[in-house]
Amino acid sequence: MTTHAAIHSSLWGDNALSLRPPSQVMDLERLGALHQSRLSFMRTLVRRIFRERWQIEAAVFNLDSQGYGTVVYEVQAPNGLYSFVLFSDPLLAEERNDRVIATKWDLTMALVEGQVDEDYIEKLRENVPKQEAGRVDSRVFVLSRANRSARNFDYVVEKLAAGQQPDVKKIAEVGYLYRTTAVYGSGKLGMADWEKVQQKHQDFARPFAGEMFVCLMLRNFSLLQVEHIARHRSPEKFKPMQHDIKRYFGIGNSTGLGMAPYLVNHPLLINQWIEMRELALARIRTLGGIHAGTRQLLTELIERSAQHTRETITEDPWQTANNTAVIEDMANLKNKVAIGFDNWNSLIAYSEQHCSLQGQEMLVSIMLEIYPELVDELEDFHCADECLDLDPLMPTQQLKAVIESRYKWALETDFEAEGARQTYWYRSEEKMEPRLGIVADIEGKKKQMALGVGYAVYKCYKLLEQYIIANPEHTTARFMVAHPKLRGIVRRIQSMNRCIYGDIQANLLDRDVLPMHLLRCKLAFFGVSKFDPRSRLWVRNTMFQGAPLLEDIGKPFSDDWFMPLTPKQ
Amino acid sequence: MNISMNELKASLRRCFEASGYFVGNYEDAANMVLWLEKHGLNGLKELKHALPYVGEDFDKPLSNVIYEDSTSATIDAHHRSALNCIAAAVDLAHAKALESGIATVTVHNCHNRMFILKALTDRGRRGISAAAYWKNGSSTVTEHTAAIRSGQRYPSYSEAVTNLSSDEDKQALTIICSSRVDLTSSLQNANSLFISPKQVEKNKEHTVEFGIEIDEEVWQKINQLGDGVLVENTESSRADAGAR
Repeated sequence: MTTHAAIHSSLWGDNALSLRPPSQVMDLERLGALHQSRLSFMRTLVRRIFRERWQIEAAVFNLDSQGYGTVVYEVQAPNGLYSFVLFSDPLLAEERNDRVIATKWDLTMALVEGQVDEDYIEKLRENVPKQEAGRVDSRVFVLSRANRSARNFDYVVEKLAAGQQPDVKKIAEVGYLYRTTAVYGSGKLGMADWEKVQQKHQDFARPFAGEMFVCLMLRNFSLLQVEHIARHRSPEKFKPMQHDIKRYFGIGNSTGLGMAPYLVNHPLLINQWIEMRELALARIRTLGGIHAGTRQLLTELIERSAQHTRETITEDPWQTANNTAVIEDMANLKNKVAIGFDNWNSLIAYSEQHCSLQGQEMLVSIMLEIYPELVDELEDFHCADECLDLDPLMPTQQLKAVIESRYKWALETDFEAEGARQTYWYRSEEKMEPRLGIVADIEGKKKQMALGVGYAVYKCYKLLEQYIIANPEHTTARFMVAHPKLRGIVRRIQSMNRCIYGDIQANLLDRDVLPMHLLRCKLAFFGVSKFDPRSRLWVRNTMFQGAPLLEDIGKPFSDDWFMPLTPKQ
Repeated sequence: MNISMNELKASLRRCFEASGYFVGNYEDAANMVLWLEKHGLNGLKELKHALPYVGEDFDKPLSNVIYEDSTSATIDAHHRSALNCIAAAVDLAHAKALESGIATVTVHNCHNRMFILKALTDRGRRGISAAAYWKNGSSTVTEHTAAIRSGQRYPSYSEAVTNLSSDEDKQALTIICSSRVDLTSSLQNANSLFISPKQVEKNKEHTVEFGIEIDEEVWQKINQLGDGVLVENTESSRADAGAR
């Protein structure tokens, strides 16, 4: 088991491991090329549930023959008892909308501390189906909703009711029965704050663990529900779904712009996630032994990743081109390994010369897969104390030097160039949905969110240069009294300077900015796959595809659901 | 009604942002209100006093240093709320304490000074001991002090009603910071209310467990002000979210 001290000495000082540089790692396009890995939150959650053998049983199961009603699962984890409460309600096809502005859903869910009695379930029933229009209390710590996949749900019910199995080729096209359109935690709508979850509920005290758990339970319920409806429709002919086909069902997810500001507004947390991923890679490059078994496993995973990508279906030409490149990259890497390799650094260097960014990052995820003993323990270090502290004593000369070294990318950006500040981010009065506008809309621009970190650093630097000429000996504290408008950005610069990776290196105000990269980065840390962009602003994807089923808890557990493939039928 | 700390913080940030607070200042201001309320020290009551004037600071001059030497400074806040100027004053005291061991910063013409507690408390976490003292009121003068020791997470706080007549420099506040000496403070006034760091911690634990009770009118007012950062919803605006 590692410690904070051991991690620190691996990252900083004379004995630090060789890490990829921030200029490479924090490039927005590369962040948008990340894939799921052993450290993704879905993987770490499933490992925890299966290794700790959580007991998850239905305590209330009131579904009618159409699958509508209420279900409550009790979840006994090592540190506490929780209830997963789900409401299934009829929804007209025309009411089904994945956007955040929707007001009705097929399923709504809550994760609650402790047991729930009838009165409390009733209280939840009055509020949870309303989502943003309802209120819950601090016993609840995750709230979510989901809509049926129009293409798959009825088809699967019909097949099972007819005693047949769904065609896996069809499932490969859309690998889920439900799409979740929002998963809320961290105190939204009256729920418990993250501070409470982190301190009181050790079982969910990792970033987004509760949110991921709700999606896993949704997946479990979706499989149970289709069988329930099919069984009632045709009791004689009905046959349950085969285990391997069940595993191939995940949960669909639609993610829009709302996720993008999160990455900018939580820089210390994002840095922490990236540090752990990069530390895992650095450990492997230095300590990862290579033998015949390693080569064989590497080849298998390369083939699997290529096949998974082949099975990823999207109509988006940009993503299709990326996927094609990854398939070619995997073929290249496979050939390179077949010729013989005995050094991870040379394989990485080869990938950087010959593969696309998505191919390079696929190799990183594959490497992490091979060495659980070097990687898995880092999952306990994904939290960060998110205090952006001002260092008041720092001399302004030093502050200037910090900007020059850590924000070189911002100083090198030509913010006067055409289109360099043409985009702005704002919140709509419609459910405060984040949106992306163009500066021609003057009224909207006045209300823009402060996401242009690069430009803010650039402006700060220019003022600092002038200030130092007049006050060469002043501290940051003194500079802050003179320029209080810069307080936010100076505090950020100093705080991110205490991190290895720091800020995302991109001008988010640029006309050509691709928010998709931000979404993709966070989703990769969550552990999703099958990216299917629906525009440059939102993306569909699949969660938990290939993950073991809840009915497998307590049975031999192989943590091997990386890049899942279509089961053979 | 009951709300979470995160809800309060997010709404306050929008409220202060819409009121013209700068980036960095609106986060500070939201955190100052939340900190007081979270720790049982009536942040929302203080905010209620401040809200009617929250937009007025936008037109006032920025704080400036009117005297300074190596161990002290005097700042004129030009009748701004502590919500948007006191953090910088505490930072200055902090920096001077690191340089000289102990330092004093006096702030004049500063309102809502109770909000200093969050900025003061942050010093403890960062290895600095800090104390503050201020008086308040015109007909009835109250006095207040708070202090935190180096390395601690919770401050002590005292307040008392005095028999002083109206003070000429009513809106002053004195901050002492030290990197060498552990400062504690309590009022000499025999009728003072003293809240220990332990009690402050207990108050926090209760809030973390159960959330925050807020008067619906205040909540509505905060959100109403915060709506100023939201952009009108139109068909073209919907397209800005990726709608097709």
